[in-house]
Amino acid sequence: MSPLPKRLNLVGQVPLITLVVLCLATALMTDRFLSPLNLTNILVQSSIMAVIAIGMTFVIVGGGFDLSVGSTVALAGCVSAMVMVRFGLLSGAVAGVAAGMAVGLANGVIIAKLGVNPFITTLGTMVLVRGIVYLITGGAPVGDEGLPSAFIAFGSARVLGIHYLVWVPALLLVALSWLMQATPYGQRVYATGGNREAAYLSGVPVERIIASTYVWCGGLAGVAGVMLAARLQSGQPTAGEFYELTAIAAVILGGASLQGGEGTLYKSIIGVLIMVVLGNSLNLLNVDSYWQRVAVGAVIIAAAATDRLRSRR
Amino acid sequence: MTKPAVSARAVSKHFGATRALANVDFELFPGEVHALIGENGAGKSTLVRILGGVHRPDQGEVLLDGRLSRFSSPRDAIAAGIVTIPQELRLVPALSIAENLALGDPPMRRLFGVRVIDRMRMRAMARDQLAQFDLSLDPDIRVDQLSYAERQLVAIAKALRRRCKILILDEPTAALEMREIERLFALIDRMKTEGTGIVYVSHRLDEVVRLADRCTVLRDGQIVAVSRRGDFKVGDLIAAMTGGVAAPPAVTASPPGAVVLETLAGRPDTIRLRTNEVLGLAGLLGSGAGAILRRIFGLGDEPIELRRNGKPERIASPLDAIRIGIGLVPDERRLGLIFNLSIRDNILLPSLDVVARRGRIDRTHGNRLVEQMMELLDIRPRRPELQVSLLSGGNQQKVIVAKWLTRAIGILLLDEPTQGIDVAAKAQIHTLIRNFAERGGGVLVRSSDLAELTLICNGIIAVHQARITDRLRRPADFDEQRLHAAIGG
Repeated sequence: MSPLPKRLNLVGQVPLITLVVLCLATALMTDRFLSPLNLTNILVQSSIMAVIAIGMTFVIVGGGFDLSVGSTVALAGCVSAMVMVRFGLLSGAVAGVAAGMAVGLANGVIIAKLGVNPFITTLGTMVLVRGIVYLITGGAPVGDEGLPSAFIAFGSARVLGIHYLVWVPALLLVALSWLMQATPYGQRVYATGGNREAAYLSGVPVERIIASTYVWCGGLAGVAGVMLAARLQSGQPTAGEFYELTAIAAVILGGASLQGGEGTLYKSIIGVLIMVVLGNSLNLLNVDSYWQRVAVGAVIIAAAATDRLRSRR
Repeated sequence: MTKPAVSARAVSKHFGATRALANVDFELFPGEVHALIGENGAGKSTLVRILGGVHRPDQGEVLLDGRLSRFSSPRDAIAAGIVTIPQELRLVPALSIAENLALGDPPMRRLFGVRVIDRMRMRAMARDQLAQFDLSLDPDIRVDQLSYAERQLVAIAKALRRRCKILILDEPTAALEMREIERLFALIDRMKTEGTGIVYVSHRLDEVVRLADRCTVLRDGQIVAVSRRGDFKVGDLIAAMTGGVAAPPAVTASPPGAVVLETLAGRPDTIRLRTNEVLGLAGLLGSGAGAILRRIFGLGDEPIELRRNGKPERIASPLDAIRIGIGLVPDERRLGLIFNLSIRDNILLPSLDVVARRGRIDRTHGNRLVEQMMELLDIRPRRPELQVSLLSGGNQQKVIVAKWLTRAIGILLLDEPTQGIDVAAKAQIHTLIRNFAERGGGVLVRSSDLAELTLICNGIIAVHQARITDRLRRPADFDEQRLHAAIGG
């Protein structure tokens, strides 16, 4: 019995090892990689995707799937910018996050209560929400001029030498990891994703749990949308396209299983870093941007294949 | 005497730690209907799958026309003339009946020199095949438009398109209605006279009596009885399937006390469970005994009204049942366990609210409870962080029981608690049940193993066709004949 857990532990560290190897290889090939500017860039670029990936991990651990996060990012960014121009910073930020939670609640209710397939449901809301974004903005960016200066500063300023944008996922990671690992709620999410029927028979309110994971995912996509609006200094209706694919790929790269019941927030963030560092190193090495797409696609497939191999174990 | 068409000699098969078949001999002659009966998990399907080339035996051999056969896949078996109609149908829902019947080998014709499917002929062939069953379905209807029974008949028609020497039917009538069953039986009679050997798996004894020339009874992977046409006695078959009833020993638990649970109060089908009592529900597969347990746990189609310690309660979901101190050990372990979680997380799952302090799981408290449980139930290995999927069947079953004991519930519902686990673990589970009742709990246990029920129960309720047919008190009423009569109807 004893060799088995050892092997499992090693398998559990594959994402971290991949990240370290990737960083070392890039650092050996180009000295620009380890420059403070580049490292800061990587962190800032990762920050928004990391917030989305944390939410996506909730859904995937709960046995679901969410394609609507990219559109939700755009919705939250535009809603927050529109509200902010009229009612100020705090109202705007709250409205953006609330818009994200509303999308998540709709997804959650349709999937958990009505039993519609998550892929179809969130494919639908992905298109629908993007349509709403174009309807409310008329297709034009929102709030170029009237955004509060504190909001613009939030998108670029630092505290203690680290960007505000990076503090957000860092604090969320600590707080929500505690929620997932140390509270009854977190245990119930893992149990529901691992075996919905058995969880139900053990007294877990599985419908509420599943719906709640989509609310987390939508709400955090909302937070990401507000962050992106601050960085872009406007609400962009086209923002967040393909974010859902990157987020799902990152979560799977981090070792979560699409079968549900497995995955941790910190490893999902490692997955995000792998995606961002990969893009960064291909850039630094002057790889043609068309080839970059090919590489990212291959990584997504490789991640999914590893997921299959692990579940066959 | 003619040679058997197929015979299995001393065949054994294990799946992981579970013994599915042990040293089984089986033979089938041309033109014979050989019934194979037994309760769930007795090994019927495994034996049939070995004959059909799906599984290979761990030990023993299969002879076909007296020659050793080595099937490496179901294809080989089909090529050798063995056709299996499985319980799950293999039809393509989005294709028409005619297309399904011709799948893999459609009639072809040449159109401008190109080989294309001859649809006219395909339709005509389909109509002919359907006519064998007096089915007047339009061959162009898509299969997903058919009822389950119609699909079953189409699947049988499809299998019979090939010449078959041996036909294996695995519970073919489960979803059929009277009229369709008659059609199937007529077809079986005809194939029999044509010299086809037929293996007929069922648990409906009336069908066996009507059809079979010979009947083999399996229990726990072993053959417990073989009888020939003319010698069939329904009572004997039930006894063989469910195990003989041992002489009831003296009462083991303290005398039952106050009523802790009462369903359908005042009606003839009421069930009254007391403290210190183990009450058995006896019934064959499909008798409705399992449904009684599921309803009490809030899994029925509608909420159930019952009395807990005399107080009326309404149970709409497992949450309600657990709230008033009822726990269920389901009949399948995949319903009781979350395989990718650890022993500890599984045991604590129903008790998370109990071990939480100010919104946070109290690990020390939780670990202490889990350690106590693993000690008490002798769950091995004693490693709470181990994934439950790595445990043996018996230990997994103990983990499921531990889930409820940790919550200190008052009523334990057990559905086939010792199915598929070894003798030693079985005895430990029996002891657990007795101890739970001894400490003031009430236990309602469903089992198709009557020997088990007579061993551990204070009383047995017999169920047949979703009705209570008899109530037996220990020890005076524990009579084999009476119990068999009650569950066999």
